[in-house]
Amino acid sequence: MRSLVMIKVNGKRQFWYEGMTLKDLLEDIEDSHHYAVIRINDKHVSRPYFEKTMIPDNSEVFLISLIAGG
Amino acid sequence: MTEYKIEAIKTFDYKRPVIDKGYTNQTLLVDISNPDISIHPVTEKMKEVFIGGKGFDLWLLWNAVKGTTKWSDPDNAICIASGPMGGTPVYPGSGKSIVTTISPLTGSVIDSNVGGYFGPYLKFSGFDALQIRGKTQTEIVIFIDGIDEKIQIFETSGLPDDSYALSSILTEHFAQGKPRHISVVSTGPGAKNTLMGCLNFTWYDLKRKRARYKQAGRGGIGSVFADKCIKAVVARWDRVSVNTNNPSDGIALKEVGKKHSKEIVGLDPKQNEMAKIGTTHLVTIMNDFDLLPTNNFQYGQHPEAENVGQEVYRRIFDVGYDGCWMGCTVACSHGVKDFVPLTGPYRGEKVFVDGPEYETIAGCGSNLGIFDPHTVIEMNFYCDAYGLDTISVGTSIAFAMECFAMDLINETHTGGINLSFGNRAAALEIVHQMARGEGFGQIVGRGVREMKSIFSREYKADLNIMQDIGMEAKGLEFSEYMTKESLAQQGGYGLALKGPQHDEAWLIFLDMVHNFMPSFEQKAEALHWFPMFRTWFSLCGLCKLPWNDIVPEDNKDTQEPAKVMKHVEWYTQYYTAVTGRHTTPDGLIRMSEAVYNFQRIFNLKMGFGTREHDNIPYRAVGPVKPVEYESRRERYDKELVEKHHVDITDMSTEDKIRMLRKFRETLYEQLKDAVYKRRGWTTDGIPTIDTVTRLGIDFPEVLELLNAKFGDDQG
Repeated sequence: MRSLVMIKVNGKRQFWYEGMTLKDLLEDIEDSHHYAVIRINDKHVSRPYFEKTMIPDNSEVFLISLIAGG
Repeated sequence: MTEYKIEAIKTFDYKRPVIDKGYTNQTLLVDISNPDISIHPVTEKMKEVFIGGKGFDLWLLWNAVKGTTKWSDPDNAICIASGPMGGTPVYPGSGKSIVTTISPLTGSVIDSNVGGYFGPYLKFSGFDALQIRGKTQTEIVIFIDGIDEKIQIFETSGLPDDSYALSSILTEHFAQGKPRHISVVSTGPGAKNTLMGCLNFTWYDLKRKRARYKQAGRGGIGSVFADKCIKAVVARWDRVSVNTNNPSDGIALKEVGKKHSKEIVGLDPKQNEMAKIGTTHLVTIMNDFDLLPTNNFQYGQHPEAENVGQEVYRRIFDVGYDGCWMGCTVACSHGVKDFVPLTGPYRGEKVFVDGPEYETIAGCGSNLGIFDPHTVIEMNFYCDAYGLDTISVGTSIAFAMECFAMDLINETHTGGINLSFGNRAAALEIVHQMARGEGFGQIVGRGVREMKSIFSREYKADLNIMQDIGMEAKGLEFSEYMTKESLAQQGGYGLALKGPQHDEAWLIFLDMVHNFMPSFEQKAEALHWFPMFRTWFSLCGLCKLPWNDIVPEDNKDTQEPAKVMKHVEWYTQYYTAVTGRHTTPDGLIRMSEAVYNFQRIFNLKMGFGTREHDNIPYRAVGPVKPVEYESRRERYDKELVEKHHVDITDMSTEDKIRMLRKFRETLYEQLKDAVYKRRGWTTDGIPTIDTVTRLGIDFPEVLELLNAKFGDDQG
């Protein structure tokens, strides 16, 4: 069920609901970029875990477009 | 208090030139055999073709050595250079030194790009590059004093062996009360007693009031340094500003530098937080994607990986500014304060440890089956203090551990050490033995290539299986990424000029995770563009991290996100602002192409540099053992069935491994063909006459080499 609680995604406010996963978030914001990693607060979450990682209330989420390495 | 003697045996006074658009236009040659000190001009042609940094190093080294020169010959030179933009404080990542020599591990040219203040201080003292030749029997220190305009060679005795204590003492000795004016290059006893010695370059941390260290790690440069009996090279310089390089357009330089710095300050906290956690974020990410080398690259994942990941090191790292060059906003160095080692000469004492970075965590941690952050820190500390490369140490111990696990060697060979994966005390003991030049550690310190030969010859171990699992190519140990499922990264390692180090190309995500380059031609294009662009940083005295480790927010919407073209454009402005030479993104690639091809031909000169030398062990290409296949059975079965149309119904795992190997090895050879073609090389991997002519590196000695190789065939 949707609520008026917000999270921040790349600095912009975004609606949040109980049980919202990273996969849900990407669908909600209609961002089809091939993210390998998303950061929730201090924690990096890799794509294999987007579907089962729930976003806590009041989180700051950072969509990381490139993992460059090396 | 250490009692030591330091006595000048040679003093050379000189007049420091005015730096012109990033260049001093001269190099310094120190021949320690005689000893002799001389200054040599940098020609316009040298600047045009080789740009600076690694380019200058290679040209000096090329002229110093013969094709028959061995790493320990007096003829072998150690060359250290900054680059035209090196020493710029306003642009992030502009303090690198590039070091080259003939490597004891590969027998050919090695290069290493390292932070710390030395390169800029050398240049500001009046020299675009330093070449050290010769060999001595007495320990010496070379002192380049840009403030008082003199070069000195000192004979020394009584100085400590380990780099940690040595750099600290020499900083104080030469500082005249201003330690930030000093940068020390040194190594330690591990470098003397192995072939994988590193060089430590210092930068002085004003807040923590101590010399900090960055490493020129790869290829045993520290072992050459120790073999020459050089205790340290010290540079002294005072104030640095944006004008010290006397740039062509100081206003444009400040503008572009501020833009890039500001972007990093704004975006790093939103992206990988390198200013807080360095490169440790990669540990869990690599683990999640099954790419974290574990137990000698057998596996890419381990349930305990988080124990050595960013969340742990975030709590351990000492908070504060950690830039290895002045004003760098990436500031990714980091360190651990008041660490107390449990073993070795510093046992029970509080020390400051510089690191660990990702490579050290993976090399001295996961790849050894070790997931204890404190052991990784202790390995890191002793490798630095002993002057050992953490990557070669990690990959070499990992190989020995797997040989132990497979009963190819046993405790009679290891001197009673139980070298099982995960044995933390054993890993540390091997490092201490390396430093002392004793026991089994002495053998591990010869590197993977020599270990294979020793184990086979003296312990009758199966050479074929060791060729498959020994993670070296060209004699250099692999750095710490899994390449089995990324053909492009197999090329990134196998086709790299110096051996398998990821600084030429890091394509794992682009290729394997995102599948952005499905065709051979696309892979070949990537294996052209990325090595060339990454080479360019080492020509100019720069760090590559600001380019693509923090990216603009709209980067993902650009045509080629992996190239981060907005930053590439900034680098063209940066180059033009300093040197006064207009350039374009293609111009940067063209600069590197000349130097890159020259280095390939340098390999040829040293007896390497052809197709056979680009081979890699099968462990880098696919699963060697059934346990590896089974760990990714779904992926491999699918590949056999869907890609290669094999009926696997009644096949054993061993048969599937054989079949998969045939396909994958063929693909790797096809990749070589595609890359060679793109680079303008023959099918044997040699730059053609047309290529060297186009790039302006058709020097008589180059043409002579190529003509001897090609004969009547035009190449």
